[in-house]
Amino acid sequence: MTIVYRFGLVIALLALVVVFSLFAPAFLSVANFQSILFNHFAILSLVAVGMTLVVASGGIDLSIGTAVDMASLGYILLLAQDVPPAEAIAAGLLLALLVGVFNAGLIATLEIPPFLATLGTLFIGQSIQQLATDGGVPVYLIAGAPRPIFGLVDSARLWLVAVSLVATFAVMTYSPFGRKVLAFGIGPQVARYSGLSTKTLTLKVFLLSSLLAGVAGIILSSSVKSYAPLSGNAYLMDAIGATFLGTTLNATGRASIIGTLVGVLLLSVVKNGLLLLGVSFYWQQVVSGTLIFLVLAVSFSGKSAAH
Amino acid sequence: MSNVSVLALKGIYKSFGGVEALSGASLSLERGSVHGLVGQNGAGKSTLVKVLAGIHQPDGGTIEIGGHDTPHLTPHRAESLGIHFIHQDRLLAPTLTVAESLYLGAEPRWFGLPIIDRQRLRRDARDVLQRVFEIDISPDALVRDLSTAEQKIVQITRALLQNPRILVLDEPTTALVRSEAEHLFSAIDRLKAEGLSILYISHYLNEIERLCDKVTVLRNGKDVGTVSPREVPAAGIVAMMIDRKVDALFPKRTSVAGDPVLEVRGLSRDKELSDVSLTLRKGEVVGITGLVGSGTKAFARTLFGLMSPTSGEILLHGERLKPGSTVAAVARGIGLVPEDRRNHGISLDLTVRENATLASLSRFTRKLALLFAKERAAVGDFIDRLGIKTRGPEALLRNLSGGNQQKVVLSKWLIHGSDVVILDEPTVGVDVGAKVDIYREIRALADSGAAILVVSSDLLELTGISDRVAVFFRGRIVAERQASNLNQDDLLQLVTTGQTAEKIRNAAE
Repeated sequence: MTIVYRFGLVIALLALVVVFSLFAPAFLSVANFQSILFNHFAILSLVAVGMTLVVASGGIDLSIGTAVDMASLGYILLLAQDVPPAEAIAAGLLLALLVGVFNAGLIATLEIPPFLATLGTLFIGQSIQQLATDGGVPVYLIAGAPRPIFGLVDSARLWLVAVSLVATFAVMTYSPFGRKVLAFGIGPQVARYSGLSTKTLTLKVFLLSSLLAGVAGIILSSSVKSYAPLSGNAYLMDAIGATFLGTTLNATGRASIIGTLVGVLLLSVVKNGLLLLGVSFYWQQVVSGTLIFLVLAVSFSGKSAAH
Repeated sequence: MSNVSVLALKGIYKSFGGVEALSGASLSLERGSVHGLVGQNGAGKSTLVKVLAGIHQPDGGTIEIGGHDTPHLTPHRAESLGIHFIHQDRLLAPTLTVAESLYLGAEPRWFGLPIIDRQRLRRDARDVLQRVFEIDISPDALVRDLSTAEQKIVQITRALLQNPRILVLDEPTTALVRSEAEHLFSAIDRLKAEGLSILYISHYLNEIERLCDKVTVLRNGKDVGTVSPREVPAAGIVAMMIDRKVDALFPKRTSVAGDPVLEVRGLSRDKELSDVSLTLRKGEVVGITGLVGSGTKAFARTLFGLMSPTSGEILLHGERLKPGSTVAAVARGIGLVPEDRRNHGISLDLTVRENATLASLSRFTRKLALLFAKERAAVGDFIDRLGIKTRGPEALLRNLSGGNQQKVVLSKWLIHGSDVVILDEPTVGVDVGAKVDIYREIRALADSGAAILVVSSDLLELTGISDRVAVFFRGRIVAERQASNLNQDDLLQLVTTGQTAEKIRNAAE
């Protein structure tokens, strides 16, 4: 039984794969696997890992989707003005980092609780996007216009995701910074009493997480060749869901990158599988929500039984 | 009043996880008397009170209330038998009015209907406060707007409204200024005259002398005598409180004090610290002590940068230390073993290794990456050296006992190589075996050239491990002595009154 409690998330994922394979013949194919990676996993994994860093440090970031959006906004608007792609990418990432700096300032300097601080940032970010786009009109790059090296090609995108994820995992696992974040998240007072600068830690965590969100924004907008206001926000809830699903894989309930990635995979498989089964888009959330309940309920009942 | 005992505790035993807190403590309270209970920290006073309140069940012994044996006492049962407790910390809802607090749950009704008669509520409240304490507190005042003494009075009055037979006051004056305390004393005199029996627990011997008919002295969980404070002078009671057997707990003083490492000059902070100066030298263990609120905690916290001073300066190796920054303090080589181990010292969900290296990660880093093997080796060394009982560096702190957890906190600063180590009540909740190890390590640390500051309210421990002792009283250092020419009697006298016995005698003459 303990295996079910500890690895309920993995078991749920495997069960879904089996069910979808049986009922949707197209599910079990290389092409579909690629589709899951490109259309679902790639962007959500970056946003969710960014969220995981913040959660591991003891906070939450409701404005992580705002950082995604700000990056696409800067990138697409500049590309539309014929700015070279490299510069447009840099500007987009800078805008995303600005969101992180703003959050860190509110939390570390003004000591506003992360939930409220990032909620405020979320609201402000929404307004900025609406103001910049006449109330929310998407910006499209003109099709057919001769445009050299526009954005990134598909395989380059996947590489970028892989490199970002591996680098973040390495930093969190092997660097002193990762250890400090872990200690700060578990016992903020112990970190303070050990002489760690909790302000610097908060700033670095938000910089790193908004950078990841920024990369997600660039990839998102380069694949759809447009910027739709507030589209990044759509990833917020899935990112939170994946992060907390992932905590069930850890014995002490910590947020971990590997756990989060399994959570992202689960949510991606659900979306893709339901699509193949022809289930209405509007039912997807019901299934995702039910799965989150199930996995968390099994895991928590296991923890309380162990005590 | 006759010598009828309303309460008798006989041979009470109580131990917690193998550590005996009470070993055969007895106490007998006569009807209509005020009975004092004194003893050093850790003597078992609060455990005895909790046994009487039904919070702890005794392992042995009997409790007789009104002449009847009452086994299986619960808090509810104690109250129904007429024993009421005024605990140290205030337990009134801050946003209720005085009248509401007094009659909470027993409000007068309007013609017997389930409607509160607010008129009568206010009138009754005013009357009862006037009658018992001869004090005029508005029944409409909010509890949070009252002074501490007034809150204490409301709390006592509330207890009196339940018609108690016995009132237990646990350190009622700790938060009171002198005039407020005097108010409380006259009220106690009046209650006694009305026939109430009172058990009075206090650190302050002058209060015991002022109020009590009898006083029982606890030492090491056992009563060592009951005397009349009018016949036995304070010094005699102090002598009873102190354990004369100085055992082999403490290592020999071997180090010689060298150059000054940390110099504190004129440190002040609001009411907590006023003009405190103290120098810590290389290789020296300095102990500081005082009552709750005397400034020892504030001093230690200010040195470590947890609080900012309002004036004064701290020099480390002759250079000014940035005030109010723990980051600066640790970077410059100051370590703190905090009193609240579980919230400040260690993370239960981190491993021994992760806890022990947290303050010195840069030492285990090469080319941006942590050197896990080097960490494990270093922590393994300290596990052996301090005799930490654990599966190894990768064990979660959750699985270690209190004493071993404390050793991990100590290794955090040993690994850090701190020049100045501050230990705040280093052996609270630590068993005797681990205590000896910790004392030995403190001495070894001093021998290796660190300057040590120990904050302790355990006077035996303080004189046992320190080279020099400074006594704090109401935010000031009132005495600084070599520990070798300090006897326990003088020290306790200094701690509780802020003066030496000599001074008191001179003043009396």
